[in-house]
Amino acid sequence: MRFLARRVAQALLTIGFIVIVNFVLFRAMPGSPERILARNPNVSPAAIQQTRERWGIDKPLIPEQLVAYLVATAQGDLGFSFSSRGRPVTEVIAGRLGPTLLLFGLGEVIAIVVGLGLGAYTGWRRGGPVDLVGNGVSLVLYSMPYFLLGMILLLVFASTLHWLPTFGMTTLGRTYDSALAYLGDLAAHLVLPVATVALGLIGQYSILMRSSIIETLNDEYITTARAKGIPSGRILRAHALPNALLPAVSLIAINLGYVVAGAITVEVVFNWPGLGTLTIEALSARDYPVLQGVFLALSISVVLANLFADLIYGRLDPRVRS
Amino acid sequence: MILTLFAVLALIPDLLVGALQTAVSATGGRLQPPTVQHLLGTDEIGRDMLNLTVHGTRVSMLIGLLATAITVFLGGVIGVVAGFVGGRTDAILARITDFFLVLPTFVLALILAPIIADVIGTGSVFLGVRTTLVVIVIVVGITSWASTARIIRAQTLSLKERPFVDRARVIGAGPTHIMVRHILPNVVNLIVANAVLVFAGAVLTETTLSFVGLGDPFQPSWGQILNAAEEIGAPSLGAWWYFVPAGACIVLVVFAFTLVGTALDDLLNPRRRSRR
Repeated sequence: MRFLARRVAQALLTIGFIVIVNFVLFRAMPGSPERILARNPNVSPAAIQQTRERWGIDKPLIPEQLVAYLVATAQGDLGFSFSSRGRPVTEVIAGRLGPTLLLFGLGEVIAIVVGLGLGAYTGWRRGGPVDLVGNGVSLVLYSMPYFLLGMILLLVFASTLHWLPTFGMTTLGRTYDSALAYLGDLAAHLVLPVATVALGLIGQYSILMRSSIIETLNDEYITTARAKGIPSGRILRAHALPNALLPAVSLIAINLGYVVAGAITVEVVFNWPGLGTLTIEALSARDYPVLQGVFLALSISVVLANLFADLIYGRLDPRVRS
Repeated sequence: MILTLFAVLALIPDLLVGALQTAVSATGGRLQPPTVQHLLGTDEIGRDMLNLTVHGTRVSMLIGLLATAITVFLGGVIGVVAGFVGGRTDAILARITDFFLVLPTFVLALILAPIIADVIGTGSVFLGVRTTLVVIVIVVGITSWASTARIIRAQTLSLKERPFVDRARVIGAGPTHIMVRHILPNVVNLIVANAVLVFAGAVLTETTLSFVGLGDPFQPSWGQILNAAEEIGAPSLGAWWYFVPAGACIVLVVFAFTLVGTALDDLLNPRRRSRR
């Protein structure tokens, strides 16, 4: 229980820190919100005055502006997007969340199952043919930026072989007879992006799991189990795997931050209408509120995922709780 | 082998393929597949892709090198100070380090890049490098020092307890003197091993940042070439020669540096050595 409380407190502290970093960046930004609005001749003086009051710009930076910012953020008010006609940032981000979750949820699940499985097998049969090939491929995949992998898949399967569509989430302008036809089209568009995400992650996860299982196999209790005459398949399943999975769980969570980076670029390659393309659009339009909103949303989800992994870890391994 | 090849490409691109081609000095037709004159084909304005890719080597390597220098410097200083001074300083620095480890630093880099670019301005040239690229160097440096700091801190903690540090203190050496003259030489090998891995990461980050449009079209790195390829839709057009060579270069460099870095790490990092 105290373990739980401590971890939750730590996560909250980190989130608080992120919000403050966001506030500082917001101030470091060239041009305060009101100055950017003032540049636009169509904005009425009343609207500018309203913005000034909203952010307390005529008041001191600390504490008034900070407090105003914290209160607004806590209420889910992240400001207004510069580029999409002043829609609230929260609304803009929420609209892009679904496709990203679909893409990365699927990719991550496939990668965890296949990557951990491959890693466990190659570590178990170290030096075997699967290990040599698998480890080589994993290392190459690990050195390859996600978007490059995506571009190559796109080149091979979409523009050369014409098996799969090249961009978007569904075919443009197509109407569907039934829900099934819609799902089929969506699935065809999903294959390549999901494959890219999954392949990129499989490289990482299998390398990680391989070294973890090799390390576990050197432990004394494995030797004991062998000495007791337990069949080797059972040693792997009942003794080695559960212990080797532990570090994998926490490393997957730690790596999530890097996965996010890959996520953004994969979406760009496939024109996937998710948070990644939103980020890049916001970047090229210098739409700072949206960028910061995305940063906040992604950081908080990474922190929460880490917290979640810590809690699972604590449940699986009582030693870390003390 | 691979590394020597790329070092040569980075050092003398002009001798190998001539000066960097521009829209004006382009020698080929638009988006041609590979021919004898243009071994790797041409881009959408007729520039020779071999020329661009070889010149990209220098830019990518240079950015990687500078970013690594900043990263290792920040990580080394923060790690040594946190480990040596200890107490409250250590607690605060370790918190910040953990924070940067958890954070999706790439997204932070995306926000920082335009902000820094607006502050120092773009388009001018700084030490032979265009400021757009300086921004990338700074951003990569700021966002990737945390893992170096953590490794160096752990090593400093164990060095601090060694007798020679006590001896130095008894003679009357101040903390700064001990850190620079006694701790630093002992973590240098660790820093070198880490720097090789950091370099691989820096090349990858630079590639990704350039790919999303933060690079400089006038000094194209490999990432910038990939960005240009993506913008004209090269993968959908089947123009493989546009991005496969630059992509292969990235993979080779990162792969080679990761292998070398891991090997050095195994050799020089006492924690790893004891495990085998």
